[in-house]
Amino acid sequence: MSMGSSWRAFALAVVSLAAASGAENGGQWLGVQFPPDSPVLFVSFNMGPSTVRPRGVSMALDLHASLVLRNIGEKPISGLTLRVEAEDLKPGGKGSVIMPSLNVQPGEVFPVRIDMELLRPFNMPKGNAALVQVSLDCALFADLSSYGPDKLRSRRTLLVFELEAQRDRRYLAKLLEDGRLPELREELNFGLQDLNPQQLGLELLRMPSLDAGEEKALNVRPVSFRSSPVQPLRGAAQVSGNEVRGPRVEVQNISRKAIRSVAMGWIVRDERGREFVAGSAPSTLDLAPVATASMVEPGTLRFSRPTGQPMMIGGLMAFVNDVEFADGKLWIPSRSDIEEATTDPVLRRELANSPEQQRLTEIYRKRGMSGLSEELRHFAPGSN
Amino acid sequence: MSKRAPHPSLEMLALHSAGDLALVAGWRVRYHVAHCHECQHQVQLFRSAAAELKREASAETLTGFEAIADWPSLEREMLGNIGVGVDAARCIEGVGKRPSWTMRIAVVAGLLLLFAAGWMNHIPSEQTQHLLATLRSVTGFERPIPAGTVLRSTPEGIAVRTQGATLTILHPRSAVVSLSGNSAVSARYVDEDTGQVTIANVYGQ
Repeated sequence: MSMGSSWRAFALAVVSLAAASGAENGGQWLGVQFPPDSPVLFVSFNMGPSTVRPRGVSMALDLHASLVLRNIGEKPISGLTLRVEAEDLKPGGKGSVIMPSLNVQPGEVFPVRIDMELLRPFNMPKGNAALVQVSLDCALFADLSSYGPDKLRSRRTLLVFELEAQRDRRYLAKLLEDGRLPELREELNFGLQDLNPQQLGLELLRMPSLDAGEEKALNVRPVSFRSSPVQPLRGAAQVSGNEVRGPRVEVQNISRKAIRSVAMGWIVRDERGREFVAGSAPSTLDLAPVATASMVEPGTLRFSRPTGQPMMIGGLMAFVNDVEFADGKLWIPSRSDIEEATTDPVLRRELANSPEQQRLTEIYRKRGMSGLSEELRHFAPGSN
Repeated sequence: MSKRAPHPSLEMLALHSAGDLALVAGWRVRYHVAHCHECQHQVQLFRSAAAELKREASAETLTGFEAIADWPSLEREMLGNIGVGVDAARCIEGVGKRPSWTMRIAVVAGLLLLFAAGWMNHIPSEQTQHLLATLRSVTGFERPIPAGTVLRSTPEGIAVRTQGATLTILHPRSAVVSLSGNSAVSARYVDEDTGQVTIANVYGQ
């Protein structure tokens, strides 16, 4: 070992010892705790313009934490999930911050910002622990191995994001390599108004809605991807105004492998016929080859426009977003699957809009074709 | 030769003479008396005394019955006693009388005013509002906030509300909100400073 690397190892050990004990700031408002053997440790921790003020019968804490983390492991980090837990909400509620599409080499530092607000009644008792705790839930490495307690099942989420990122980088790199620049521009939709994904407001209630209203049964239309090992067959939901209750989809495993979990994606059509990808929800589903099963989303989903106006539900579609096999491998739709799934260009763009696509689009907007090309080269195999 | 059993006590013999002993004790005393002349004599004395007492009691009852045979004089005596009682009650009518309703209301109002003044000076207004809201909820004047966990998005962030507390993870207005699980909502955006995609999630159970 050279003298330089010895000093670096010593410095990292000092940082590790300091980090293992955790850090607290802001009068025990926020605590950061990483395990001693974590491959990711924080170098610095800064509370920004955090404030406390009364709001009604509660106290509102505005917390703005800025963390600088370092990869002290031996593998590049591809994704990271930090768990955010508030004592007052345990065990019912918690939060997380996911950083997908990372490319942090060993020894490199990277920033993470967490902006949050905690609203707690004045009469709520306070323990000795910090009001909000930030900890590591999962770190995904470039070789798709992982570290962390994974209490939020974020390893699966990070894996899906990473597979989508690899797919989208390959696709864009191929367009670039083949000189298909008009297609690339269309893909990144530079200059058009609907560049950003369509926004909607969401409310998820874990109890029956108070306003029963006039419910009506609505058929859920399946959207199939050709190579998907699990196909949606049919579905139904109860709809009332801007609420969808208990959507249910019957699916069939058409592969020869056993399935462990399926993430069902939902597309909502509003009263004007515009379609929005409402998200996807992974569910554990032990599904043998050729077997069928029913996937139900419990609770009530309430949709609104970003301005807060209710968005009336005109239609509902379901698609298989990703599939986890019993052997731990994952399936995600290919770009050609997405191309063939629908003739609607807006919906196609919505289905293909992965976090990595969003990030690369932003790079293209700010730095142009050369910036995008440089970024794609940065991720190319053997570039590091 | 077996030793002779001791004599039962006088109380036991007295009870035996009247047939008031319990089954087992009565059998033991009866067995002893059957073989003991001394005790037989004592039991005989008790029975004679009891019979004498009964006779005397009957004679006294007859004497009392004869005394009240004079009903008119007894009626006069009773009416006189009632009249004396009524007069005595009138004499002590004002003693220990409860205060009037007006006085009671005045006292209660004064105490309430004192309580209200003390409350306003010592209890924060937030607590007062909280208490009033609870009272409104309990009495049905206000729709209660449903128990359970609610996840929702706002233009500023995504929030999880449970147990009276709310955690909101803030995001820029450009963030795209979506469902990310059976009980999770996420918001995705590109950080303007770092260019990094960040996905905030809130979970409810």
